[in-house]
Formats: sequence, structure tokens, C-alpha cells
Amino acid sequence: MTSFRIGVTPSRRAAARFVAHVRRSLKRALVEERDLTGVNQSKIALSLDVHRSVISRELNGLQDITLGRVAELAWAMGREVDFKLVRTERVELSNVPSVQAGALTSQKFSKEKIDASRTPNFNQKLEFVM
Amino acid sequence: MATLLELVAMGDLVKLDPDLASSEFEDRKIYLLPQVCHWMEVTLPNLGSAWKIDISPEEQVDQFLTDFCAGVQVAVDYGIKLLRPIGHGVWELKTPDIRMFGWFAARDQFIISSCEATQRLKDIPGLYNGYINQAVFRRNQLDLNEPKFVGGDRINDVVSNWCYP
Repeated sequence: MTSFRIGVTPSRRAAARFVAHVRRSLKRALVEERDLTGVNQSKIALSLDVHRSVISRELNGLQDITLGRVAELAWAMGREVDFKLVRTERVELSNVPSVQAGALTSQKFSKEKIDASRTPNFNQKLEFVM
Repeated sequence: MATLLELVAMGDLVKLDPDLASSEFEDRKIYLLPQVCHWMEVTLPNLGSAWKIDISPEEQVDQFLTDFCAGVQVAVDYGIKLLRPIGHGVWELKTPDIRMFGWFAARDQFIISSCEATQRLKDIPGLYNGYINQAVFRRNQLDLNEPKFVGGDRINDVVSNWCYP
């Protein structure tokens, strides 16, 4: 065996990476706002009427974070959540396996004759900006 | 003495296939000792989250290593940490439920020598030091070209794109 791949399904991988991405976005926003306005985890906790440890656990992945909490945290930092579903370009004959995002669409194409000049296959992708 | 690629060809190391999207580039590389592959195949899928969170330990590891290979910014202490004694060059990669021990063979090239559930590390005194010593032992056993690891305590020496939380 020269290479190894962890056996997580593509859909669960997408979920885990998205959740991690949201947390990174929140933490990055908090650092920026801390420098700009002096807001910190304690002040956010106070404004949301929860203990600071709750905010810390949520931001550090030790506690699940709801969509509602994401919006609350953004509000407490004086920000809004810009939630978009964008389409991801995916070109056939690339080195990406067919069981990626939009697997159903890919499956459909895989039954067709391979054509390098085919129009790129666009799949949906989530984007999360704060 | 051999390079990383030669050790992979000989089966002494296994390269992690991060299965990145077409829009991502493999900025960092992860290599596993064969024992780690076995642990990830057999033990990891059966572990539950001690924090009772939605993302399972296996999914946490997959997410962390995929993002790591994609060059996503890694947080010092929360995602990566240098372990004492500092001179041994042993680092841990961290998820909420799993710790991955190993060393950097070069900047952005990490070799995982062993993994363990965070809860077990907290429950069993001395286990942390055991894994640190094991990383050093397994590194010494590996027929890797010198220098086998990046020494020192500067995060910038071992990874690109990092941040303090």
C-alpha cells in the first residue's frame, strides 16, 4: 500500500469541512472585531446571556453550533451572515473521483461517452462569509 | 538511508491521499506509519465523540487532514502544538477527540507516528509521554535521510499559513 484514504463518505466529509469552515470564519471575524472594537468572548457571552465557556466550546469545536447560534455570534460581533449557495465548476477528466459533491449529477455523466470538450459540470457549493 | 518517496515505495511509509477537490492544491503532505493506517481503519471508525458532537472522531480526522493538506490556515495550540521536550521535534495535530503524534520531515510534510483518543490521554497518566517517546523511537527506526526532522520551536519552520487563535 503506497497511499491511504480515510473511509469517510463524501457527504459527511462535506459536512465536517463546512462546519470547520464556519468556525474558522467566526474566529477570524472575532479576531478582526477584537482589534477594531475590543469585542471579545466574554462580551459576546454577556450579550447572548450565556457563560463564556459555552462560546469557547462552540468556537473550538467542543460543542455543536446551531445555525441560530452562528447568527447570534455574528450579531454580537456587529456583523451579518452572508449565506450563499454557489455552483462549483467541475471538469470531467479531472482527477476528482465521481463520488464528490453532486455525485448524482456525476453518475449521470459517467454513463455517457467521455468527451474532453464537454461543457464543465457545475455542482453546488456552500459559501459562508461573515 | 532513503527519501520520503523511497520509503513510501518500500512500504515503510504510506502517503495520505487527501482526496482534494479539483479546485484545491496539495500544499502540505501527510505520511503515515503503517501502524497508523491500521489504527485508522480498525479503531478510529469505532470511536465515539467524548464531547457528544455531531462530527465523529473519524470525520474530525478526515476533515483536519484534508484541510491541512489543502493548506488551510492552522491554529497554533488549537490545531497544532509542539510537545515537550522541545528538542525532540515531536508535534501533535489536534481535533476535539483525537491527537495525532509525529514530526515534520520538512516544512509542510508531517509524518504521523501514532494516534490516540484525547479522552484516553487524559484518563491514563503518562500516556502522553509514552506517545512522545514512541514518536522518537519510531523516527529513529525509520531509515530516513538525515536530518530526519525539523527541530526548533518556531511554528513558521514547520508549517506555512498558520495563525494564533
